[in-house]
Amino acid sequence: MDIGQDIINAATDVFSTMLMIDLVAGEPIEGAGGEVISNITSMLGLGGDIRGMLAVHCPAVVAMAITSGFLGMDVDSLNEDVKDAIGEIANMIAGNLKSSFAGYDVKVELAIPTSIVGESYRVGGMLGTRRVAVLFGMESGQFLVELKYVMDK
Amino acid sequence: MGNNVLLVDDSSTMRKIVGRSLRQAGIEFDNIYEAADGLQALEVLEKESVDIVLSDINMPNMDGISFLREKANRPNMKSIPVFMISTETGDDIIGEAKSLGAVGAIKKPFTADMVNEVLGPFLK
Repeated sequence: MDIGQDIINAATDVFSTMLMIDLVAGEPIEGAGGEVISNITSMLGLGGDIRGMLAVHCPAVVAMAITSGFLGMDVDSLNEDVKDAIGEIANMIAGNLKSSFAGYDVKVELAIPTSIVGESYRVGGMLGTRRVAVLFGMESGQFLVELKYVMDK
Repeated sequence: MGNNVLLVDDSSTMRKIVGRSLRQAGIEFDNIYEAADGLQALEVLEKESVDIVLSDINMPNMDGISFLREKANRPNMKSIPVFMISTETGDDIIGEAKSLGAVGAIKKPFTADMVNEVLGPFLK
């Protein structure tokens, strides 16, 4: 399994298909590092052969740009539309990862995404999880996709 | 005369995107109804004349599979075609959806062309 590459493939497919944006992907990061100043995080839980959490961390300007692209209208605050849109981005990336993992005969169940907004927060996870993260660039800035997981298979 | 479409998704953003994709695909419609979960969808189907339903699978309160199961038990809405539009497109879950009456599935992410290709033959 190459989870870093799977994250890159999953995210670039979502953005090119739904938003016609070609993301610039960084090198996958295993373990700590690759932080981004985040004002909104959307996350969803994973169960099954891989347990953990997928999170999308965005600065406000990036989250608003993504939402504007989705809705075809200007967005100037981190409102409910933005929380919903970034949640849906996380959901679709997780869905693509689920499809990739199925190719390794690794079955995953997805929860419903949740979004949090703030100036200073920290997202924790289960103890003993592995972490793979990828920074992505687009015109308005960078965002981070992070998978924290325990493999049961 | 166009179509009456019901979009079922807990994401308001996704409902807007699907509606826009229908327009971009050149599919004519009279009304687009929206519901945030299966329970709301059943309420809409009890009240309105709907030609086709596009439903997510993972939703709170009543998910897409439970919605299909409940709809199949109601004679007044049993024959309305449902397409699943979801990140969940594995053979097992789509197989279950089809066994409960779903006609087909569109995988998120999707383009307007993909929507047209799947739905076009079923719409007026």
